[in-house]
Amino acid sequence: MSYFNNIVQAISTLIDGMKVTMGYFVRPREYVTLQYPDEVWPVPSRNIGVGELDSYNTIRSKLTVDINDCIGCKACERACPVDCITIDAFRGGPDEDLGTTSNGTKIKLLVTDFTIDMSECMYCDLCVPPCPEDCIVMTPDYQFISNDNLKTDVTPEQRWRDRSLLIYQFSKVSEEERQRRKAEAKAAAAEKAAIMAAKKIAAEKAVAEAAEVNAEPAASASSSGEATETTSLASDSDPQVPSTAPEASNPETKVSYAIPLETIESSAPAEGDSDTPIAEPTESQNSTEDIEEKESENG
Amino acid sequence: MIQSLANWILSFDILAGMGNPVAWGLSLFVVSALIFVFVALNAIVLVYIERKVSAFMQVRLGPMRVGKFGSLQTVADALKLLQKEDIIPQMADKILFVIGPWVILVASVVTFAAIPFSDTLLAANMNIGLFYVVSISSIVVLGIVMAGWASNNKWSLYGAMRSAAQIISYEIPVGITLIAVVAVVGSLNLQTIVIAQGGTGNLFHWIPIPLPNWFVFHDPFLFLAAFIYLTGATAEINRTPFDIPESESELVAGFMTEFSGLRWALFFLSEYANATLVAFLVSIIFLGGWQSPFSTYGGAQVGFSILTLLAIMWTVFVKIKAKRLSIFPVGLSLVITLCAWLFPGFALWLASPGLFWMLLKVASIIFLLMWFRWTFPRLRVDQLMYVSWKVILPISLINLMGVAVWMWLTGEIQF
Ligand code: SF4
Ligand code: SF4
Repeated sequence: MSYFNNIVQAISTLIDGMKVTMGYFVRPREYVTLQYPDEVWPVPSRNIGVGELDSYNTIRSKLTVDINDCIGCKACERACPVDCITIDAFRGGPDEDLGTTSNGTKIKLLVTDFTIDMSECMYCDLCVPPCPEDCIVMTPDYQFISNDNLKTDVTPEQRWRDRSLLIYQFSKVSEEERQRRKAEAKAAAAEKAAIMAAKKIAAEKAVAEAAEVNAEPAASASSSGEATETTSLASDSDPQVPSTAPEASNPETKVSYAIPLETIESSAPAEGDSDTPIAEPTESQNSTEDIEEKESENG
Repeated sequence: MIQSLANWILSFDILAGMGNPVAWGLSLFVVSALIFVFVALNAIVLVYIERKVSAFMQVRLGPMRVGKFGSLQTVADALKLLQKEDIIPQMADKILFVIGPWVILVASVVTFAAIPFSDTLLAANMNIGLFYVVSISSIVVLGIVMAGWASNNKWSLYGAMRSAAQIISYEIPVGITLIAVVAVVGSLNLQTIVIAQGGTGNLFHWIPIPLPNWFVFHDPFLFLAAFIYLTGATAEINRTPFDIPESESELVAGFMTEFSGLRWALFFLSEYANATLVAFLVSIIFLGGWQSPFSTYGGAQVGFSILTLLAIMWTVFVKIKAKRLSIFPVGLSLVITLCAWLFPGFALWLASPGLFWMLLKVASIIFLLMWFRWTFPRLRVDQLMYVSWKVILPISLINLMGVAVWMWLTGEIQF
């Protein structure tokens, strides 16, 4: 009997199903299809951002920066876990007025290049909160493709390798200005390097002289060995230096804060430890600024 | 049709010199080309319609961007398929791989030779027409097994084996159902079968509702047989819900997995050719082929008036039940009815047999097949075999006996 029940049930359920599909077939249309390029889903207006910043920061999509408000502090660059923000910023000249941001902060660094590589960005939003000027934001624009892109002569293969269409560049200055600034910075760096080299030679000379004057047994050690020794001494003895310590791999940097120690060593060989913190700050501050200049140039 | 075309060619003075064999060969070529063009265009149109129907049944829109309402979508798809790279897998059996799709296509196209499109449009008037169609269309399974085996791929082979098992199982109930019809007509000639369904009679011989003499209305057993045949034929052409040989969720694409470009297009072509063939067979065998549902001119007028009444009742029902107005069916039937009453020529045309009725019936059956496809879930392999051997086969056997008994009761045959 269950055999016949089975058949009857099968047929009745099939008819039920057919009724449902026919109902949808003839019913007045309420399609779920969205004709995408012609119509788009409304972007949710829910504010997931911080505080009152509800004009943006709604959904995390294309990252953009208001370059006129950027002070080039690189907080965002440092925050990014995947290093997809690259900033070039140069110190303005002494009589150059770079204006103020909309928050009223005085701009000290001229941002010549602010590059966001959206092909690497993972939309984590970590770069947004650190910004002191609230100028880097996530916009709700999720349509990265445009007809302009299609009109370029790039073949699909090239586009795959060359992600240039997903790299967004912002700059406060024209390309020539940017190049000029770069060249200037390079020249300044080279000049500084030359001065450093001269200082280094002078320092070596001083060491040699000191060795001669003191006539200690250790004078037989080479000058370079002396330098490394003093460096290690500096990082061990001085707690304020570590901020620059990672740069120790750079020979110039090494020399730049080796100098004060040399002078200290020559003036107060063994008991000069108490004097070090006093002599250190001015010089090391200079050196950190040098490094920052270097960094911005490399970036 | 071939001979009459040849005669027509020879009737021109300039062409008369070519002689009968040449003219016959020429018309054979023309008729074959016509059939092939019909099958190809039919596939293109049906793919579009199928996509639209499926979309509407799933509250989608379907193709919309190529041409108005996406109407050129399948043309674009066909062009794309023609341009595609023709890949033959390295480890495939090259010969079988190449001829497999062609075997399938040829087997499904040549069956149209025996199909009467109308009382005159018939390529070959064979006295074994039904037998020819059924037997040739089973050659398809040979092509499927060829393609599946030659691909040297587990999915393809599974698909081919399932297809073979399925077609062999369903041939039997389908054959037995067809025998029931042949028993009523006493002929295998498809044209004779259609002619036997002309005129109007009572529903199931005794119930006094005047209906066309189609075999669905001949007796309750043949009425059932129509549905059994439709089910079995759906299984034979591997359409959902019986599409286990190419079930996407289990076998990638079954026996078509390794095919691309033109060869893949051939599978598609033959799939829709087969669906059309089934629709043709159902309408020829059970729905009176090219016969009009109205045997006389008054019949057409009265028939459409009744249809209009039914449509009005349907509209009222929908209005009460679903609180909305569906005026399309009423409007259409009202217009046709008015035309039938006002213009006797139109009523006469409605009552006369012809290609229009054939195509209308075929279109309805194809729509039914699509409706099945987008409603029913796919059967499991064991369920498929269960349905074939334990349900459909016994019912079709009982049907065959029932038809014989019915004919003895109504006095159509005497012992
Ligand atoms: S959202 Fe995250 S990954 Fe993207 S730029 Fe900001 S910090 Fe980097
Ligand atoms: S944190 Fe803000 S102000 Fe600082 S560099 Fe990035 S975008 Fe500019």
